[in-house]
Amino acid sequence: MKWSRIKTISTKEWLEIWRDKLYLAMAFLIPVIMMVVLGFGMSMDVEKIPFVAIDYDKTEQSRDYLHNFSDSRYFDYQGMAANEKQAESMMDQNKIRFILIIPPGFQEKLQAGKKVQSQSLIDGLFTYQSKVVKGYVLAINANYNQQLLQNWFAKKQGMKPSDISAMLSPVSLETRYLYNEQMSSLWSTGSGMIMLVMLMAPALLTALGVVREKESGSIFNIYASTVTRTEFILGKLLPYIAISFLNLLVLTWMALVLFGVPFKGDPVLYLVASVLFVSCATGIGLFVSILVKTQASAALITLLGTMIPGMMFSGLLMPVSSMDTPAKIEAHLLPGMYELNIVWGSFLKGQGWSDLWGNMAILALYSMVLWGLAIWKFKKRVAS
Amino acid sequence: MRLWWLRVFALTQKELLQFSRDMILVVAVAWFFIGEVYVAGSGVKMELINAPVVIMDHDRSEASRDWASQLKAPYYKVLGYVNSQQEAYDLLDKGEVIAIFDIPADFEKRLLLGQKTSIQLELDASNIIIGNLANSYSSLMNAEFNQKWMLKTMKIVDAETIQAPMVELRQKIYYNPEGKATWFMPISEMMTVITLLALFLPAAMIVREKERGTIEQLTVAPLTPFQILFPKILAVEIIILLGVAVSVLGVVGAVFQVPFRGSLILFFFVTMVYIYAVSGLGLFIASVSRNLGQALMVSFMVLMPMMLLSGAWTPKEAMPEFQQYLVVLSPLSYYIDMGYSIILKGATIQLIWWPLLQLFALGSILFWLGLIQFNRQLK
Repeated sequence: MKWSRIKTISTKEWLEIWRDKLYLAMAFLIPVIMMVVLGFGMSMDVEKIPFVAIDYDKTEQSRDYLHNFSDSRYFDYQGMAANEKQAESMMDQNKIRFILIIPPGFQEKLQAGKKVQSQSLIDGLFTYQSKVVKGYVLAINANYNQQLLQNWFAKKQGMKPSDISAMLSPVSLETRYLYNEQMSSLWSTGSGMIMLVMLMAPALLTALGVVREKESGSIFNIYASTVTRTEFILGKLLPYIAISFLNLLVLTWMALVLFGVPFKGDPVLYLVASVLFVSCATGIGLFVSILVKTQASAALITLLGTMIPGMMFSGLLMPVSSMDTPAKIEAHLLPGMYELNIVWGSFLKGQGWSDLWGNMAILALYSMVLWGLAIWKFKKRVAS
Repeated sequence: MRLWWLRVFALTQKELLQFSRDMILVVAVAWFFIGEVYVAGSGVKMELINAPVVIMDHDRSEASRDWASQLKAPYYKVLGYVNSQQEAYDLLDKGEVIAIFDIPADFEKRLLLGQKTSIQLELDASNIIIGNLANSYSSLMNAEFNQKWMLKTMKIVDAETIQAPMVELRQKIYYNPEGKATWFMPISEMMTVITLLALFLPAAMIVREKERGTIEQLTVAPLTPFQILFPKILAVEIIILLGVAVSVLGVVGAVFQVPFRGSLILFFFVTMVYIYAVSGLGLFIASVSRNLGQALMVSFMVLMPMMLLSGAWTPKEAMPEFQQYLVVLSPLSYYIDMGYSIILKGATIQLIWWPLLQLFALGSILFWLGLIQFNRQLK
């Protein structure tokens, strides 16, 4: 293995990228655009849910009840609907997600100390969002009931409001959000996007770069040259690792400045882990490129191997601990989960070497295996 | 005219043949429509399932055990009790648990005295989905405990007999009453796959001809540019519609038992128009890029925003305002709206003819632009 030959291959590769200005621009633009779109777009905040109300009672009490919903920052009141049919057709067209129905006789029954039934119809299309909305609605309703009961008992039995409240809800649950104190989607999915984007973009870039030589036939020059396969692959990868590492720095800067995510961990650890992860991702692209012959299949298979697993099986959307066994195994087999541990550990949790070294070791091992496989599988001979 | 069609069909056949010879590509496409759709539906639920938690019980009384006993499957998995704050935080930091419930030492005493007390929930919110759900479920659970305790202290057996004003909220979830994630995810995944392929395949088909120079052969043949490009889109339509049929009938229908409320034919028709629109975009990208690398990178760059703006992952109202305006530009957003409406809401053509027409117009404009660009290059 000669360093000069590796350097030559790298220079050649770099020149090739440099001269294809569109490709070059894409190599740097794609990650940035993905980060912006995914970071802002994959918002898991459930806020400003559009809803309409149908008020059959139209009394002071029913308006008061409705105010509890329309004043909440979780809901966005879209006005009154005349009847269920009109409201449901709005829901069919995805204009609203939730309908609140207040029955006639609402005020009359409550003032007489009776129970009354209201109804909420929730759009179940987005499973997660509809569950959260359901919880919000129940919580607002429970709060309202508490107020009603307090007033009622205070009036009827002359109890002190504090005693009533102790009787009605003796235990209060105080939630403290760790690591992401403001429950910001940008902190969570936003910083997690560094993992997803840096898994997809380097892999795609590398896969296309290697297969291009195969498809255009310029690989025959390599076959016929004195370059060994190790030298070829190392030389080929270096520019892509450099580009990807630069991209990763840009994305990290975006997370810090654009998304306002705090960085609580060790920057040195983060940078070392980033190099490892970038080599991993380029390794995936390299491995794919050895298997396929055309750029079209290279692109598809790289996407297949990175995007969906990176999104679904990394813990980004759903924690690995909650997955069923096959999904859990898949998560442990892919590098995304380890990198996400490092990203969230460094940004949000403030973890150091002692907590994260295991994840880094696995990433290092992963890239070594991928590179080894690629070198081993790369044949300087055309299969007949 | 017959000859005209014969030529179109001959070229379509050529495209299909060429596609079928790239075995890896065929396998990848098949896996997309079957495997990925299945995996998305079965593996990933944005749900609180077996979330690992520990309890820090400083009271160790009947009441505290009673409270903790409500933490159970399928939502929680209690890994046990811890004694010290440090131990608990270590577990949280390592990601081995997502929450700690901290019950104070005088929990039962205060309850029996009729005083207020509180339980601390320390929640790992690095994953916001789990943070939201865990908080919501725990609050509901706590409310249940409160109600039970209240009934006990008031010596009321049946909650129905209390004479007090109360609003009972009846909740009904539409379209997907049990909130099954297996309904939403596979359809969303299938639509993503359709978009991906409808964009990539025509782009790849055209640029490959340019790169290899076989385009010269086509241009000297008695074919108009339309006759050269249209068969590629036809071939893509056939490939993808076949995949969709397997996906919808096999995976979504047979495996996940998603009820198909609307008309199957209408769904396929809408899908066809959608593929046309997206391949129009692919064609346009192919006509402006010089080599496959470029074409694939550009389509990739177009694909990401298109998917995210579509509402396939998050509903539109959750996006920031500037993105809500851009949604109109994403063909996928029209398709998602129509597709879900047909499958889960049973929409008919009367309800969706307008977006369908818009989608068709969008596709035609792109196809036409690509054609002009392609024409210019040939001359």
